Formats: sequence, C-alpha cells, structure tokens
Amino acid sequence: KFHFREVERTMILSVLSSPALVSGLMVVRAKNPVHSVLFPIPVFRNTSGLLLFLGLDFFAMIFLVVHIGAIAVSFLFVVMMFNIQIAEIHEEVLRYLPVSGIIGLLFWWEMFFILDNESIPLLPTKRNTTSLRYTVYAEKVRSWTNLETLGNLLYTYYFVWFLVPSLILLVAMIGAIVLTMHRTTTVKRQDVFRRNAIDSRRTIMRRTTDPLTI
Amino acid sequence: MSEFEPISFYLVSCSLVSLIPLGLPFPFSSNSWTYPEKLSAYECGFDPSGDARSRFDIRFYLVSILFIIPDPEVTFSFPWAVSPNKIDPFGSWSMMAFLLILTIGSLYEWKRGASDRE
Repeated sequence: KFHFREVERTMILSVLSSPALVSGLMVVRAKNPVHSVLFPIPVFRNTSGLLLFLGLDFFAMIFLVVHIGAIAVSFLFVVMMFNIQIAEIHEEVLRYLPVSGIIGLLFWWEMFFILDNESIPLLPTKRNTTSLRYTVYAEKVRSWTNLETLGNLLYTYYFVWFLVPSLILLVAMIGAIVLTMHRTTTVKRQDVFRRNAIDSRRTIMRRTTDPLTI
Repeated sequence: MSEFEPISFYLVSCSLVSLIPLGLPFPFSSNSWTYPEKLSAYECGFDPSGDARSRFDIRFYLVSILFIIPDPEVTFSFPWAVSPNKIDPFGSWSMMAFLLILTIGSLYEWKRGASDRE
C-alpha cells in the first residue's frame, strides 16, 4: 500500500484524473472520427493510473491490456471500416440537444446514488472529525496480493460468474466468424498421411532420353 | 508495490522509442516552399479522379476479434495460476471447464478456416 501525504495525494489524483476528464470530453467533441476513437486511450491510461493509486495493481494492468488493446482497437477497426471523408462532416450540435440533454441529466441524477457525502464529499464542508481508520491486522502479517484475492474467490465461490463469460466469449467468437468470413480462395492443403504413404517407386519413373532424337 | 519501479523506466523509454521516429520527419517535411500542386497525387498529368483508398477488407476485423477472444482467457488464467492451494480441485476444474468452452470455439475457428492466410 502506498503511504502518501495529503498534498501528494491530491496532486497525483488531479494529475491523473484531469487528462482523463478532458480526453473523455474530447471523444465527443473531436471533429475527426479517428481522433474521437483515439481519445479513449488517455482515458484508459489515466484510469489505470488511478487504479494503481488505489492499490488495485492487477486491475490496472488488465485495464491497459483489455481496454486499450482490445476495446479501443475494436473501436478503431469499426471507424476504419467507414469511408469517411473529412469534408462530409457537418457540425450541427444543437440538433442533438433535446434527447442528449435528457440522457445527460439522467446520468447526472444517477451519480447522486453513488456519491454520498460521507465518503466522497461533493461540497467542501469543513470537517473537524478525524476519519476513522480501520486497520486490518491480518494483512500486516501476510498481505495478499490482488491476484491471490481474486483467485481465491473467482474460481470457487463465484464460479458461475466466471463460466458465463466463457459462454459469452464463445458466442462472440462463433458470431464473428459466421458474420465476417467468406472464402475467397480455398487454401491448398496437404494430407500428411497420404504424403507419407506415397511409394516413390510407383509414382516416379526413370526415363532416359535418346540424345539423337531430342 | 515497489516492483513497479522498472515500469517507470519503461514509460520513458517506450515514449521515446515511439515519439522520436514520429517526430523526426517534421523538420524535413513540407516547409514554406510547398504549394498544393506539389502535394497532390500524380495521375499522369490528369486531375486526381477519386480517392486512393480501397475498400476496407473485413478479414482484418476478424483477425482482431480472434485476438480479443483469447485475451480474457489469458487474463482469467492469471489469478488462477497464483493460488492453487486455496482453490481446491474444484477451482482447477472450473478453469478446465472454462478452457473447454473456449476450446470448442477455437476448434470451430480451425475447422472453418478463419485463420487461414487467404
């Protein structure tokens, strides 16, 4: 666990979260669609840094690998499939204001379910009380790594939640192959056993040419 | 947590290795002597008639999907590999079930020929 002072904590927190917020905004506001697909990459990177800061090291690395390497790459492929000329993009932002405004207000309202003023203060109230520190003494004897704690539970107690994603991945794999695959040419294949069973005495003939009648 | 210190070295070196070849052409690229005619495509003297891009082949997307599917497979293998004493054989067998389900998918991919070169 990290031991930071208060100043360092706020500094690291703001250094990590402000590019994430700005990049998240730029996803929507960028003119070029390729830019707007590339902007989630700073978001994921900074979120991964925030997770490291919280002490979730495995999730930080998995965020980098899965979110940037798989999800952002998928979005990039989707954008590459469109044949967008930049001159075709018209900026008519106000057209989307009614519906998107309602959805934005709904999201903003849902945030208040998560942020309760006890643990995550919204308003800078002056608190004279010292926050309670709950010390887990078991972790001072032998602290478990993030991998160990996950592995302890995911495959035993919550194995159903672990096996259902495998079914989802199977469906995704088969679905992707069914939807996108078309055979252009058949690949020339060899049957290995037939190759080994060929008797060279029966398939190769020796001929000599008569040098006078070529 | 202190084992992340080499990663800070990787941060700097990876940024340098990727940004230096990216930024190096900029001093040598178009300057004040370039004009639009110089930058346009050459089509034997005629005006350029359309975009040079061909249609995006969907099989590239299939390659990326066929990487993304085993990616969580490996990700789930990491916590499983660390703690075999806490997960009794039940945990090992649940992982085997997971791998079996994904093996069915990869068998389908193999037989269908989705990862052939053509």
